[in-house]
Amino acid sequence: MTQEQMLEQIVKQVMASMSSGTGAAAPADGDVKVTDADYPLGEKRPELITSATGIPLKELTLEKVLDGTLKAEDLRINPKTLELQAQVADSVGRDAFGINLRRAAELIAVPDARVLEIYNALRPYRSTKEELEAIADELETKYSAKVCAQLVREAAYIGYKRKRTKEFK
Amino acid sequence: MRSKRFEALEARPIKKDGFVKEWPEVGLIAMNSDLDPKPSIKVVDGKIVEMDGKNRDDFDMLDQFIADHAIHIEDAEEAMAIPSIDIANKLVDIHVPRKDIIKITTAVTPAKMTEVLGYMSVLEMMMAQNKMRARLMPSNQCHVTNVKDNMVQIAADAAEAAIRGFDEQETTVGIARYAPFNALGIMVGANCGRPGILTQCSVEEATELDMGMRGFTAYAETISVYGTEQVFMDGDDTPYSKAFLASAYASRGLKMRFTSGSGSEVQMGYAEGHSMLYLEARCLYVTRGAGVQGTQNGSVSCVGVPAAVPGGIREILAENLLAACLDLECASSNDQTFTHSDLRRVARSLMQMVPGTDYICSGYSSTPNYDNMFAGSNWDAHDYDDWNVIQRDLRIDAGLQPITEDALVEARAKAARAIQGLFKGMGLPEITDEEVEAATYADGSKDMPDRDVVADLKAIEDMMNKGVTAVDFIKALDKEGFHDVAQSIFNIQYIKCAGDYLHTASKLSSDWEVISAVNYKNDYHGVGTGYQISEERWNQIADLPWADDPETI
Repeated sequence: MTQEQMLEQIVKQVMASMSSGTGAAAPADGDVKVTDADYPLGEKRPELITSATGIPLKELTLEKVLDGTLKAEDLRINPKTLELQAQVADSVGRDAFGINLRRAAELIAVPDARVLEIYNALRPYRSTKEELEAIADELETKYSAKVCAQLVREAAYIGYKRKRTKEFK
Repeated sequence: MRSKRFEALEARPIKKDGFVKEWPEVGLIAMNSDLDPKPSIKVVDGKIVEMDGKNRDDFDMLDQFIADHAIHIEDAEEAMAIPSIDIANKLVDIHVPRKDIIKITTAVTPAKMTEVLGYMSVLEMMMAQNKMRARLMPSNQCHVTNVKDNMVQIAADAAEAAIRGFDEQETTVGIARYAPFNALGIMVGANCGRPGILTQCSVEEATELDMGMRGFTAYAETISVYGTEQVFMDGDDTPYSKAFLASAYASRGLKMRFTSGSGSEVQMGYAEGHSMLYLEARCLYVTRGAGVQGTQNGSVSCVGVPAAVPGGIREILAENLLAACLDLECASSNDQTFTHSDLRRVARSLMQMVPGTDYICSGYSSTPNYDNMFAGSNWDAHDYDDWNVIQRDLRIDAGLQPITEDALVEARAKAARAIQGLFKGMGLPEITDEEVEAATYADGSKDMPDRDVVADLKAIEDMMNKGVTAVDFIKALDKEGFHDVAQSIFNIQYIKCAGDYLHTASKLSSDWEVISAVNYKNDYHGVGTGYQISEERWNQIADLPWADDPETI
């Protein structure tokens, strides 16, 4: 995502939250809790879901794609949706899957190219322990990606201990 | 003088298969190895400090990842104290529901589950598989490829496979750069057959993720994990890099599963003296720890290794069952070819066909085997009627149904015309009417005219550089008059945005309902419960178009 697209996304999210702010079923941050009884959310609780750019799920239509109103980025998943899906996972006892969805929610803000770079940096002998720790810091401070940062820190620790980091290439 | 009986037996196909005696020290043993670690666990301050006879200080990357992420620590000591044979009995006992067993099996160690399964016969494992499958109803997945990378044929074969019953479809490439065209062929073709088919294109990991993000595919499964640290390194990954990759997929709204299978470690020379099942158990615990919803397992492309040792096919069933015990979706292999014997290839597949898994094959070849670019499949397009008759004989639902020739021609023609329209609408190299007709009536790529490969590859490069996405495919299809197909491709993007299909064992109905182990849980608890074949479904399976009608005799 370019910086321009990111700004556009933020503006749209703000606009969307303003327009839906008074609705009874509006998704309030942290308030709404869902379980498997609400699943599939797209069918049973569509009012809780917006695209990454803040467009309500029900307003995503083929017609709007065809007339150019909707762009590719308008069809991307929103971090809040992944949090809701993680709650559904928790409700059926799939805690590890829920954590994966929460890491995923954090990664939405990270640009495609950087995601691929970090993946490559985590592969054997690609990075030093320090380089991995720097990536963890970047994830945490730049993208508020705390759960991802924790995973990268663990990788740095055990990778170094097992001599699978760049120092031992 | 030679025995004529022995000479006759030597000419049989089974004699071309390779067999080897057990050699536990190098890992040439399916399961029940005396060299496997003995189950153990020690928890201090909420942390696992000893697992399967190893102290935390001595943990390798897999041990560390499994101990920290894959085991319910709070229940671990209690679950580990249950004798393994008792857990094995619970797996078979119809009075113990799936959810009670999951509580135990997700709180024990890899060596413990290896020991549990070691007590069980294939019959007992099939009983357990029927109960432990995550999704209520079984399903099936196919490969759609050809040696020419001809995307018109891929579209037509995908459409046919869709009306035959495959809910997920997978393509790959001969020439790597053809991937985007093959991905388009299978996605458009499959959804011409029936709306709501999930498609993927198996290629190098970064490319696969990129295509997924742009909307060329709906899911991915060739994310490999291995059972020893050294083989993981040789695969150029760690449990941590793969866990990160898993999150990357979900962050772009893409369903994914990992892949693993017995035999890979011994084939790569680093089995560390452990049985195939124990090493596969480690793979599955890594998968669970990464928080991935499912696995493609059951030896998969290393099937020749377990199949060569005693009890190897039992071990493959044990792997699939173990995946289900860890609450994972299981696409249970039955893909790569491993035997020259028709008898043996059916016997191998019955282990999954009879109890049913989330995806019985993770690659039934929807083409003749010469067109299968995944090194051949245990089942191919020429076996469709055999598969259908086996379902009818045993009254089982293994995902497919017979079709008429008219329905086949109609589906293939529509898919070939739709991909022709998509190419026209996007300004890609022409698909001629001759190609459309050939794909409509083709059996395999020998029936297809050659394309200008150089022109195709140039067009692919330009297309990818332009940054096209699903929005471009949708617009092109609509412009060329394929409004319903455009709607289907749009619906896939809509489903990704809602995220419901990320959940365990998902598939889509033709009305775009997400069907998964969340809203369709397997609730088997005895005779007549769990998934039951409906009357409508049974008629589909039972009504062979070529069966004689008694009234006409």
